[in-house]
Amino acid sequence: MVAIVRPDAWNLPLFLHVLGATLTFGATATVALLGFAGLRGDPERAVWLRGLAFRIGGYVLVPAFILMRGGAQWIADKEYPGSAKTPGWLDVGFIVTEPGALLVIVMLILAWFAARRPSFRGAVAVPWLASIYLVALGIAWFAMSAKPGS
Amino acid sequence: MNLYQWLLFLHVTGAFFLLGGIVIAGILNLSAIAKDRRPSQVASLYGLIRFAVPLIGAGLLLTLVIGLWLVHEADYGYGDGWVVAAIVLWLLASALGNIDGKYQRQTGELARRLAAEGDTPSPELRARLRDPRALAISYGSGLIAFAVLGIMIWKPGA
Repeated sequence: MVAIVRPDAWNLPLFLHVLGATLTFGATATVALLGFAGLRGDPERAVWLRGLAFRIGGYVLVPAFILMRGGAQWIADKEYPGSAKTPGWLDVGFIVTEPGALLVIVMLILAWFAARRPSFRGAVAVPWLASIYLVALGIAWFAMSAKPGS
Repeated sequence: MNLYQWLLFLHVTGAFFLLGGIVIAGILNLSAIAKDRRPSQVASLYGLIRFAVPLIGAGLLLTLVIGLWLVHEADYGYGDGWVVAAIVLWLLASALGNIDGKYQRQTGELARRLAAEGDTPSPELRARLRDPRALAISYGSGLIAFAVLGIMIWKPGA
């Protein structure tokens, strides 16, 4: 089996896409860890950990997500220009990132409230939404790397 | 799906585990040093870093073992410059990561001890957290791992 060689012009967008994806994965996992840790212990510690989860979501996860999605669009435009039909594995990536953006926004709104009110019940949803998004990212990297059906 | 596709998926999974784990540890470490935190807060953040350790370990193993298998499967050569460079950088990142891991474990233990002894800010803990040599080793190790990602994509000389 000989590996497929990409044109050199695809390397930078691919690197930025994968870099963004790994940063997104790490930042989402960090939000999940802080979110779960912020559900236990005394209220002061819980609010501090939830505040940290919110700030990491805003300062790391959002820029990483934009880098991942921007890189994806850049390389998709090069590989499938114009109205060229995109393969299923690429569509999986868009399915994960587009509703994924909505999920991240909802998660950040809940994290913001959770960081301000110790008794906010929606705080429990933050780490679970992050965990769901981690699973979705796993499905996307399976589709992107193995390219099943291609 | 053929063998090459499965191997590529496992190799990329290893890369996500490794780099994702490095990102988790890096973010939590930065959160600990960014402000003068109480020892109990540092201990909490360092306690969460332990979840990144198995991820990094599994990532190191998968990237190397499956990567070497992929070199054979995809008809690259083990002596190709980019393969040798990637292995050397992988070893360097692992060695630095190992040194950093031991240092961070001791820092976490100090933070836990200080938290139990009154939880007052400590110059010793602050100095350990912001030690320039330790930070260079820690962030150097992470940056080298990301450099390997660049080599994997550009494959210079292939």
